[in-house]
Amino acid sequence: MAEKNITIMHAKDMGKETSRQKIVKLAVKFFVYAFLILMALIVLFPFYWMIISSLKTLDEYRLSVPTFWPQKVMFSNYAEAFTTGNLGRLFLNTMYVGVVSTLLSLVITVLCAFAFARLEFKGKDTLFAALLATMMIPGELFTITNYSTVTQLGWMNTFTVLIVPFLVSVFYIYLLRQNFLQIPNELYLAAKVDGTSDLKYLWKVMVPLALPTLISITILKMMGAWNSYIWPRLVANDEAHSLITNGLRNAFTDTTGDVNYPVQMAAVAIVSAPLFLVFLFLRKYIMAGVSRSGIKG
Amino acid sequence: MKVVLQDLTKIFPSRDKKAGKEVVAVNNFNFEIPDGKLIGLLGPSGCGKSTTLYMISGLQKPTSGKIFFGDDDVTELPTENRGVGLVFQNYALYPHMTVKQNILFPLENLKGADKMSKEAMLERAYEAAKLVQIDELMDRKPSELSGGQQQRVAIARALVKMPRVLLLDEPLSNLDARLRLQTREEIRRIQRETKITTIFVTHDQEEAMSISDMIVVMKLGVVQQIGQPQEVYDDPVNLFVAKFLGTPPINVFNGKVAGGKLYIGGDAVLEVPGIGDQEVTVGIRPEGFVLDENGPMHCKLSNVEIMGRDVSIVSTNEASLNPVIRSIINADNKVDTSAETVRYSLKPHKVFVFNKETEERIKFEVK
Amino acid sequence: MVDSKHQWKAWIYLSPAIVLLLVFTVWPIINTVRMSFLENYSGLEAVGGATFEFGIGNFQKVIEYKRFINCLKNTILLCVLTVPVSTILALLIAVALNSIKGLQKVLQTIFFLPYVTNSIAIGMVFAAMFNIVGSFYGTQNEIVVTAGIINNVLEFLGFERVNWINAGSSYEANIIVMTVYIVWNALPFKILVLLGGLQSINKQYYDAAKVDGTPRRRVFTKITVPLLSPMLAYVVITGFIGGFKEYSSIVGIFGENMGPVDDVGRLNTMVGFIYDALETNKQGRASAAALILFGIILVVTMINMQVSKKRVHY
Repeated sequence: MAEKNITIMHAKDMGKETSRQKIVKLAVKFFVYAFLILMALIVLFPFYWMIISSLKTLDEYRLSVPTFWPQKVMFSNYAEAFTTGNLGRLFLNTMYVGVVSTLLSLVITVLCAFAFARLEFKGKDTLFAALLATMMIPGELFTITNYSTVTQLGWMNTFTVLIVPFLVSVFYIYLLRQNFLQIPNELYLAAKVDGTSDLKYLWKVMVPLALPTLISITILKMMGAWNSYIWPRLVANDEAHSLITNGLRNAFTDTTGDVNYPVQMAAVAIVSAPLFLVFLFLRKYIMAGVSRSGIKG
Repeated sequence: MKVVLQDLTKIFPSRDKKAGKEVVAVNNFNFEIPDGKLIGLLGPSGCGKSTTLYMISGLQKPTSGKIFFGDDDVTELPTENRGVGLVFQNYALYPHMTVKQNILFPLENLKGADKMSKEAMLERAYEAAKLVQIDELMDRKPSELSGGQQQRVAIARALVKMPRVLLLDEPLSNLDARLRLQTREEIRRIQRETKITTIFVTHDQEEAMSISDMIVVMKLGVVQQIGQPQEVYDDPVNLFVAKFLGTPPINVFNGKVAGGKLYIGGDAVLEVPGIGDQEVTVGIRPEGFVLDENGPMHCKLSNVEIMGRDVSIVSTNEASLNPVIRSIINADNKVDTSAETVRYSLKPHKVFVFNKETEERIKFEVK
Repeated sequence: MVDSKHQWKAWIYLSPAIVLLLVFTVWPIINTVRMSFLENYSGLEAVGGATFEFGIGNFQKVIEYKRFINCLKNTILLCVLTVPVSTILALLIAVALNSIKGLQKVLQTIFFLPYVTNSIAIGMVFAAMFNIVGSFYGTQNEIVVTAGIINNVLEFLGFERVNWINAGSSYEANIIVMTVYIVWNALPFKILVLLGGLQSINKQYYDAAKVDGTPRRRVFTKITVPLLSPMLAYVVITGFIGGFKEYSSIVGIFGENMGPVDDVGRLNTMVGFIYDALETNKQGRASAAALILFGIILVVTMINMQVSKKRVHY
């Protein structure tokens, strides 16, 4: 067995093979980078187009041969977008809804996840399984009844209607419970021996240890408020309670015929900017949160 | 296939750029590995033995120096053209393939003139599987195998393409003690049958000594000694090698030489002709002690452990650099366990004298 | 030991979540099923007076409804187009990203950017890129002020200009625009998950393959893809679930018309249908449609799981 095969390995012309392989390797590397950079440019292009369009005059925007850099930089488009779109108001509304619902949601989620992770009660596993099962149901199914419910409660066109129905997310409870479970039980027992109350233990030990998950939840929740569109459109149509996405879509599409695209693009840029800034500073947490949702399936 | 390492050196740039200190993993390694032998690369972790193995495989490029397979310079040759078989420490069996698919995998990669028919590949795969005695398990997935079986599959996968050189990275470290003993015999047998030049890496001196034709002892990237296991054991070049080989380990003492006599504490324990007067470090193998009522070396007896064939005597001595001295003597000897002191005479060829500063061996004439 | 005092405490911790879930999750499930089986159910019940008979009329009407069939067709078409395209593209990008050292972090960040955008806001940017500004399209007196950057590029490359989203545009053109936008939007999550999966594959498998001289393509098909199969199954399943709930990306491009101005509702989806029914106070019909949507998602997910059980290794 040995001899006959060793001859096989000998047969290779090794010197030639190497130089050809080197060229192949270089070529592959080149194509990989070319492919990635091309894709990156495609991904980035809409952002680039948004920004340069937002800085053009309307006349320049309408040139039949497009310019790739504004001839005259119109920062005034941003001011105009801000006032026409009433963006200040929309910002405040959205921030209010986002902050309040995030805070309340965190408290509820932490308490619930703690109970599922550390406390003992009858039917715990059944209840948790039932909660997980609801994640399979599309949200639209809830919306129909919730629409009636909030109407009956007289919550139409209030901030309450934008906050309360979405305070509990089974997914966040699940995420946090998993995180809590990773904290060794000995810590809890030790605290019990020392006479620490559950609530104090939760606040002093569990919460700090689960901080990355809590930050991820916070960011995802804020992003949710920033991007929510359907529900606010249904239940809070008035200007006083309008959220940023709805305001954006409405303020710049009503005008029939001549849309001032540069101003519209400026408005889009203003709306997109906060998310970008948050992303730049908290990239790690956002990506961790999003990829951890990969465990969900 | 003979493997020659010529001035082989590997320098890793430091991970922490600020510290700026690079790590010399392998320093100027020269060795000609004879054809068809089983070679053990031996040393504590971080001694550069795995790096050496990976350089031979081509997965890592040497910083300088050359590697030859036979007369071919393979230093610049990419891994895939070297025709080596590599068994990884944790086997790296593809978890989604059956044993058969795992073993066939290297063969299916062959192209051009080497391309084989399906039947020929299967035949070869079964041949390899039979060699390592796993031909019954061909349709299982790796997760359904025990550690020892996985190890065999990994060896079969490395052998099936009949490599010019077989490389094993800590092949036994993931096995339990009993399997380890069995598997190392197995490796020896397979190597004998295939006659493929085999190099394996281990930190376990017993493992290396028991099956290797030759061992290479390394420390911090520098080769300390190369030779047949018994030769290295009997004739270590320095204190490190003496300490690294042997279980129980060698006993080390502070000593001095005066007038051709070796002193440990106040006792003149041995004549060491040819060594000038100086302070020295002395190593004595456990089997180098002989119970002797009139022996020159006095030790305080603390314990006697009877291990069937042998008796292990645990004692202490002020000059000892280890907490206790362990000697092994034949069980036929009667030991008075109630005595406070035990006296030994020494077998000269089991006593090594080392320079106190350099720890290099200073030889003396054994009568 | 579970004593009653302890139980009581646990329920206090749970109570806020449980109360909210009962009102806004559990009750809706029951009520939606109830409404769907009440003939022509509408919000009038709340006001009092109206009573509704039990029956399966809502489901019948929904299924017979041409607009619903259209919505179903759009939804399925977009799913079938966008899930494979985005998955394959994301896989290629993730594998490419995983194989490089320089620029990896920068490129990774760029590829994630679409995730942190507002799908309606960026939809407006896409709309602007595809939009033709002018009037009288398709007539002799056509006036085009600017054809949109996409058309500019097409013309530069020697192709004909296409009416993508304006009045008179073709259904195929609309679908292409939606596919491009949805894929653009879906890439970041898939790349993130797949790259995470790739990075958790033990590097030794690749070393072992290298020692055996495995060609690149074989490494990809025989090692990378099988070892990544759980992650691939995951992005495909979530991709389909998300695809069946497509709605706001269409609002982003076409506005609430859900189609070009001369063919309102042409691109409407299942979710859009549900909201339309809801807004016109036809809760029974909306419920029936929502249950049908749920059923479809359930079936598709189960098929996906079944397929991946055979295909996913370990």
